[in-house]
Amino acid sequence: MKQRLSLHRGSLIALLVMANLVVLANLASGDLKTVSELVWLDIAGEGGAALLALLWIGLILNSRPTGRVTRLLVTGLSTLFLAYWQDLMDEFIQLPSAVMWDHWLESGAMPLGMLLLTLGIYHWHREQQAISAQLQKRERVFREHRSLDGLTPLSGPRYLREQLAMELLKQDQPLSLVMLDLHCFDHSRRLLGPHDSDRLLREVAEVLLLNLRQQDLLCRYAGDRFAVVLPRTGRQEAESLTRELEQAVRHFAFKTQRGITHPVAIMAGLAVAHDEDADSLIERANRNLHSPSRVA
Amino acid sequence: MVFFLHDQRFIPAHGQAAVLLDLAADQAIDSNVLLRHTGLFREQIVQGEAQLSSHDFLQLIHNSRRSLADPELSFRYGQRLFPGHYGAASTLLANAGNLAQALQVFCDFGVLIQPLAGARLSLSEQHLCLQWLDCAGSGPHWRFIVEAAMTGVASVTRWLSGERLPWQFLFRHDCPDYPEQYQVHLSGPLHFASQIDAMLLPLEYLERPWPNHSATARQAALQQCQQEIASLPGTLSLRHGLYLHLLEHIHQPPSLQESAEWLECSPATLKRRLKGFSSHYQQLLDEARLHQAVHWLAFHGQGPDQVCARLNFTDSTNFRRSFKRWSGQTPAMCHRQLLRFAQR
Repeated sequence: MKQRLSLHRGSLIALLVMANLVVLANLASGDLKTVSELVWLDIAGEGGAALLALLWIGLILNSRPTGRVTRLLVTGLSTLFLAYWQDLMDEFIQLPSAVMWDHWLESGAMPLGMLLLTLGIYHWHREQQAISAQLQKRERVFREHRSLDGLTPLSGPRYLREQLAMELLKQDQPLSLVMLDLHCFDHSRRLLGPHDSDRLLREVAEVLLLNLRQQDLLCRYAGDRFAVVLPRTGRQEAESLTRELEQAVRHFAFKTQRGITHPVAIMAGLAVAHDEDADSLIERANRNLHSPSRVA
Repeated sequence: MVFFLHDQRFIPAHGQAAVLLDLAADQAIDSNVLLRHTGLFREQIVQGEAQLSSHDFLQLIHNSRRSLADPELSFRYGQRLFPGHYGAASTLLANAGNLAQALQVFCDFGVLIQPLAGARLSLSEQHLCLQWLDCAGSGPHWRFIVEAAMTGVASVTRWLSGERLPWQFLFRHDCPDYPEQYQVHLSGPLHFASQIDAMLLPLEYLERPWPNHSATARQAALQQCQQEIASLPGTLSLRHGLYLHLLEHIHQPPSLQESAEWLECSPATLKRRLKGFSSHYQQLLDEARLHQAVHWLAFHGQGPDQVCARLNFTDSTNFRRSFKRWSGQTPAMCHRQLLRFAQR
């Protein structure tokens, strides 16, 4: 969190300087109001709006890397903040009627800020579309950030069961499930150490993703076991896809931190759904994983 | 007999606790969050001076589970636990010449290698049974500890023996809503809602020689472990020590008063000390009786009537009622269920 905010230190300092300049300009050209002249409702309303704008800036800066979209969003919100800030200053300081810049700051900055913010949100939307396209094989139909796996950029077993249950409702279409288990991963983990073996899992996940179709879904089941949901896929097609996955992983030359190649192999267990629930389908695929014929 | 108490600090924090800290650090969890309420700081641990009590260790587990609410955590922790870097005890384990020598480390030097879970090895005609016992009164964290211990032992015995040992796993708790973690990380037959937390293996694996060990290093490590254990405030936790004492005298179990005399303290002190482990005398007695009954029923081919007599119950109705209170099952049901596991 701290690192994220420090990326944007420049923007934050600029905002602080601007807010200070506004206060100084007001004090230089106007006079302070007496307590009896203050309208507390206006102060609360305008001050609250300024504070909220500031909070939004903080949240956005904290959750995003630097870049065009972030710059647009933050500039828009900062302009809005300054407009509200000047509005708030009006409540405390009486400016002579000859001074015009405060009107410009209040009424000009507001629409400009809105415009920039709209532009930012539009690009954010485009950016999200691009990210969703990248995520396609890892999440289908609906998003649930709570079922994401902690180690790999995939969804976990809960999401797998939910998706299988949804697919199983479509009874007119065949559905296949493949379980993939890394061969001798227990041994690899001890040889490679925790960092490399975790990275190995993440990279194998990437290799598998590259070899799947648009409609397929890859989840991490547990440990070194992955699950591939193949919708609208019968046995024959599923077997050939499984073989492709096995070959792809066999040709993957994982590099340790020291740059040494560590060969990887997977075992696969295939189950084609017939009239059953998600748990029994998963169980059958898991059982086939251990059988010597591999793809049963 | 000298036993350690729940708040006595002697467990080196750079041992098993550091494994958990490293695991959390890999997932970008701040170590200060994990050490909250343990009275420890990262700097002390790195210097190798910090020591934990069993209570502090439980707090650390509590903090870790809150920060990383992932059911895989205990299994990943278990995989990294053994042989570990705990000095002589790790050397002793890594140089075990067979399974019997490896399990001896857990049974005789448990406090050095796995301070929260005590191991008890018993042999029947066909099986060895490695039972895990709660040393620290860990309550809601017992499941985490037992998951880690079993994963650790299954993993290290596979690594050292060079083959996959066909362990079976018995758990007292019901199947949790993350069965996949058990299936993948333990990969053997799983029996939930059993009466004990234990691992079973056919007896023939016990003496089968393992490759890559040094008998000399093992002998030296054995000496060191004995010296280390002699310098500790106790070899067992008070909870575990009293449990074993009750187990030993299960035909005629000593009362609270007699136990207190054996421990050279007043009954009130004993009660207070057990409370530190979230335990009380009757609970330990029930546990000991249940566990012993299960052992006789499952692994020594004895029927409920024989067990009833050996536990010194006056009549079988009384025994059945007590057994049901301890376990939720009748002795006959338990007998049938456990025989099935043992016959596999």
